[in-house]
Amino acid sequence: MTNYGLVIDQERCIGCQACAVSCKQENNVPMGQFWNRVLTEGGEKMDTPSGGYPEDGGSGSLDMQYQPTACQHCENAPCVKVCPVNATYTRDDGIVEIDYDKCIGCRYCMAACPYNARVFNWDEPEHMPEAGTGDVEARPQGVVEKCTFCSHRVEDGLDPACVVNCPADARIFGDLDDETSTVSKYINEYETDQLLEDRGTKPKTHYISGEMSPGRPQTSDKLESELDDVSPWSDGTDDLPSEAADTADGGSGGGHHSIEGDEVPHVPSVKSGGDD
Amino acid sequence: MATNGESSRVAVPSYSGKGKLWIGLLVALMVAGLAAWGYQLTTGLIATGMRNVFSWGLYIMMFVLFVGLSAGGLIISSAPKFFHSHRYEGFARLGVLVSLACIIVAGLLILPDIGRPGRIYQFFTSPDFRSPMVWDFGIVLLYGVLNLWYLWLLTRRDLAARGSRLALGVTDTEAGRERDRTLMFWTAALALPTAVALHSVTGWIFATQIGRGDWFSPLVAPVFIAKALVSGLGLLLVVSVLADRFTNFEVDREELTSLGKILGIFLAFHVVYLLAAERLPHAWADHFEFWAITSSFLVGESVYFWLWTVVGGAVPLAMLAIPSLRKRVSVIFTASVLAVVGTMFEGIRLVFTGYEVANIDAAPGISLGGEYTGITTDIWATAGVYTPTLIEIAVTLGIIAFGALIVTLGLKYVPIQRVDAQQSYATDGGKQD
Repeated sequence: MTNYGLVIDQERCIGCQACAVSCKQENNVPMGQFWNRVLTEGGEKMDTPSGGYPEDGGSGSLDMQYQPTACQHCENAPCVKVCPVNATYTRDDGIVEIDYDKCIGCRYCMAACPYNARVFNWDEPEHMPEAGTGDVEARPQGVVEKCTFCSHRVEDGLDPACVVNCPADARIFGDLDDETSTVSKYINEYETDQLLEDRGTKPKTHYISGEMSPGRPQTSDKLESELDDVSPWSDGTDDLPSEAADTADGGSGGGHHSIEGDEVPHVPSVKSGGDD
Repeated sequence: MATNGESSRVAVPSYSGKGKLWIGLLVALMVAGLAAWGYQLTTGLIATGMRNVFSWGLYIMMFVLFVGLSAGGLIISSAPKFFHSHRYEGFARLGVLVSLACIIVAGLLILPDIGRPGRIYQFFTSPDFRSPMVWDFGIVLLYGVLNLWYLWLLTRRDLAARGSRLALGVTDTEAGRERDRTLMFWTAALALPTAVALHSVTGWIFATQIGRGDWFSPLVAPVFIAKALVSGLGLLLVVSVLADRFTNFEVDREELTSLGKILGIFLAFHVVYLLAAERLPHAWADHFEFWAITSSFLVGESVYFWLWTVVGGAVPLAMLAIPSLRKRVSVIFTASVLAVVGTMFEGIRLVFTGYEVANIDAAPGISLGGEYTGITTDIWATAGVYTPTLIEIAVTLGIIAFGALIVTLGLKYVPIQRVDAQQSYATDGGKQD
């Protein structure tokens, strides 16, 4: 069985908001709403650190990290269990999705979600551009919406928009049930956390912090499983944490250590149309 | 006083000028409420004070209150029946009428809260039985039907004797009355567990949620039962005293005092005991010094807490505990009003504790989803704030007015009192006009 999940390497994340913005574009997220947010763990305000500057030769305590946050696609998803009319459900591939034709707008799911991942269309949603991209289902006033792991792209064998558009290769999407997938390997090999683990929701979004992973260079916008040779850089030993850390420390390009000379850069190909 | 009928009496034979004015006021409130709801339907829930962080507001707070209010009447009338007692017989019919009105108000309050009320049929076509809201939907419907049936069962022979069409063809015979008494016993036997289930399930809507602070507590269901007893009985006493004063309905003074005492016991159990039981473990675990534990245990965190525990708890409890005061009708009335108001603030506080604090509150926070003006960047919030809008208040008042209208009409069309009931207190606090 396929069980999609996401790994976010917080050590790689540069807080550029590209995932938040591309999510908004890809999914016609209404103005004033975000499905995917890049939060600053640190100071009071966005992009500010906590702690203080070094003074008089001392060592400062400035600290900041980014935490991109969207629907965690929990295995024990409270939102699915509370939905009175089965509008929110877990797909066979593990994606938690909403049937916008069924949703009665009771917002019990918003009460249930500990991550505040869901937004409600309090009025007639406004889009930019007005007509939207046409790739995703329109959501009317009075229903709840949220991240779908870009299920419309996944069904076409493409990675979610936030993953493809991450310039730091900090987002890796894949099948958690497949032991050879990058997400599975990284969860095994790196120190990963899930948000609010103590609530028992079993999120399928895992955050790497501490040691930087090699990320997953985007050789195309295809899902890992759709690539011809599963992954151009994971031929066994390459993605061991120790080695990864070595290269990441030394390299200036962010650790694409195993891409050989003529590999395609990680910018997605443009042939797929003007919609992403 | 008793105008006609041998065994029963209606409280209002016909509406006086004041009565018509009262009905006119209720109808005006209902029309205003409908208009406000119409406006809200066209603009969306943006017309309310709710936003993405604080996504349940006045409608749900009042839903919680009115579910609780619907407990009193049914329990006061069915508990004695279940034990074959004639105690509080004078309150039985009025109690069930008030219960019925309250559960209708509670059910209707859900309609303006949901974003797409036209799809509510999905509860029947596509229910998920894991959802506490489905359980609640079922139990509220069952409770409403049960109240309607019980009220009719209590009064149908008297309705028949009066030639009312509401008897629906039932005739007034001695054998029939005898059979009804058996039916009443069995209805009471069903009503009590249904009432317990109603309040527990409504509590579990909140108590099952791991993401909303204090909601996730096994104590919520028992607390909901306790607050239903407090507020339900409180409302029944308020309505009884008002009906005694303004209609031909007569309250048995002794029973009123006795129910006042019971309200005091309920208050003590709810606001003193259960609250202490809920707060002590947290206060103890979170603090180290004796006085830190004590103050964390005793000192509440919000104005709603104080409105509930002092205005709606300690004050009425004191009024009902002092022997020289607690027999006065005015004292019982005031204490009951305070108990209901206090319970209202308890519900408000419950919703606030769930939404005020976001579990993940890193900057910039959560997008609010409010009206997008294009200029401001202030679409973020790291904590929940909520103030109801006039639209929400108008809709809520309209629905409550509908409940009041049900009671008012019931006083005219349902023989609300058996005539063998005893004397009115009439002389003391409630001066007849």
